Amino acid sequence: MHRYVPLIPVYLLYGALFVIGSQVSGMWQPMALLAFYAALGQAFNIFMGMTGYVDFGYVAFLALGSYGMALAISSFAESLGAGVIVAGLLLALGMATVLALAVGAIALRLRGAYFAIATIGVNEGVRYLIEGARLWGGSEGIIISRPLREAFGPEGANLLSTFWADTLVYLIAMLAAFITVQYLHSKIGYALMALREDEDAAKVMGVHTTKYKIIAFITSAALGGLLGATGWVLKLTYVFPADVFAVHYTVEAIVIVLLGGAGTLLGPLAGGMIYAALKYWLSISFPGLQLLLLAPIILFIVVAFPQGLIGVLKAKAKGTFWERVIV
Amino acid sequence: MALLRLENVTKRFGGLTAVDHVSFEIDHGEAIGIVGPNGSGKTTLFNLISGVYLPDEGRVFFEGRDITRLPPYVRARLGIGRTFQIPRPFSSATVRENVAIGALFGTQSPSVEEALGIADHYLQMVGLWGFRHKSAGALTPVEKKMMEIARALAMKPKLLLLDESMAGMPPKEIDAMVQFLRKIKEEEGIAIVSMVEHIMRAVVGLAHRVIVMHQGKKFIEAPTAEALNDPRVIEIYLGRKEEHAPRQSP
Repeated sequence: MHRYVPLIPVYLLYGALFVIGSQVSGMWQPMALLAFYAALGQAFNIFMGMTGYVDFGYVAFLALGSYGMALAISSFAESLGAGVIVAGLLLALGMATVLALAVGAIALRLRGAYFAIATIGVNEGVRYLIEGARLWGGSEGIIISRPLREAFGPEGANLLSTFWADTLVYLIAMLAAFITVQYLHSKIGYALMALREDEDAAKVMGVHTTKYKIIAFITSAALGGLLGATGWVLKLTYVFPADVFAVHYTVEAIVIVLLGGAGTLLGPLAGGMIYAALKYWLSISFPGLQLLLLAPIILFIVVAFPQGLIGVLKAKAKGTFWERVIV
Repeated sequence: MALLRLENVTKRFGGLTAVDHVSFEIDHGEAIGIVGPNGSGKTTLFNLISGVYLPDEGRVFFEGRDITRLPPYVRARLGIGRTFQIPRPFSSATVRENVAIGALFGTQSPSVEEALGIADHYLQMVGLWGFRHKSAGALTPVEKKMMEIARALAMKPKLLLLDESMAGMPPKEIDAMVQFLRKIKEEEGIAIVSMVEHIMRAVVGLAHRVIVMHQGKKFIEAPTAEALNDPRVIEIYLGRKEEHAPRQSP
């Protein structure tokens, strides 16, 4: 049971965000933004943090997850009723997983920078395939507000996009944290740690490195797909290729993981919350200048804490009581 | 049936033939030494056995099975464990976790808890138990070599390849390590190939048979004392004694 102790602060934090969001008026959206970025960080961390590989095409998984949910709702909302949300989540999961398998089976044979370069093309490639082949509405995307209203009624549809979409994001974030803990303490975690540190030595020790990289990649992709399906499509009730294949989300995910501490449990959570809070606060206080101000702040944190905030705390906690909590 | 058999194994890097038609056999539970000066092809030979490189010619058999084209992780699971000349610890992990990785992915499939127990066992045996919670990157080079031996043993291999594992150790520690390896060999029936450049002390007490490598070729294979005293072996290390040519007056 010891292994689940570190989940306590994680779940307390998400619980606190949820309670503040639902009790303090006007705080639901900002808290949901924090939860979304924390969840994005946690999902991305399972691949980038644990393997040391950087996937520049990560947002494509959120995008395909978005399409999965949008397709399910636009095709089956009438016949399935509320069950269409489950079908949408499953389709999102499936589509993100299939793309991850296809990309992973090829690109994960490449090392380090070569892998990163290979993945840059994935996001743009899938986007132009959808737009060029006029797949799933092409560049016009899919709008699901009408089928949602028809299936759930105007109030149900409203509640779905203003409350349940964000609540599902909280749940996915908690699932991602649970999987992270599970992996860290299992054979998978040891394999990923070994290949992150020295891939050739890991192979000689008997680690089937490609297999474990693909496990991490698919897990991370599937969680990303679920985030796109809920935090984007259910919330906004539409999907446009230009919006969902936006590379800056990948960059944000990378920043969040580095900020908090790659490969740790609490790191992406802290990184995501700090990043989202800074972004939100700066965009209100200094509208238009937020990115200009955010960049030096992030630069400073990354230079001052090269292991990430939690990475530094974790090193400090070694040998103390806090060692068990800060993971 | 021999545990490991190499048949005419050859590896070229461009124009350089690093290993040139080398053949030899090792039996279960046997200890042999591979010696040779720098650049004689020893480490390449190890990389061919553990699967880091694939040979250009020749075949490798392990327990009668052709493993010539198998990837390294499959060979590790069949029972080939090794250390590296320049230690390659998983630096950010603890010493205990490093050794546990060997146990987890070696020939057995223990649970994580069992693997940590196996790690403790071998760390005690090599005398690193006190450092088990230290991060592996913080060990001294000699400690890293000891940890690599523990990590390879935790794999429960049938064949242990030691690549200069005792280089840099003081003679007393080499003797202790040799004693330890002999014990391991007898108790667990592990075959050991110990590769050294200069520290013959690490071979003499351990190996009954020695293969001397020279310029990629198997130069001599003989019982240890015989091989190391062979004048030709001394010659490849120290060079030939030459008569000085008489000075010519201008």
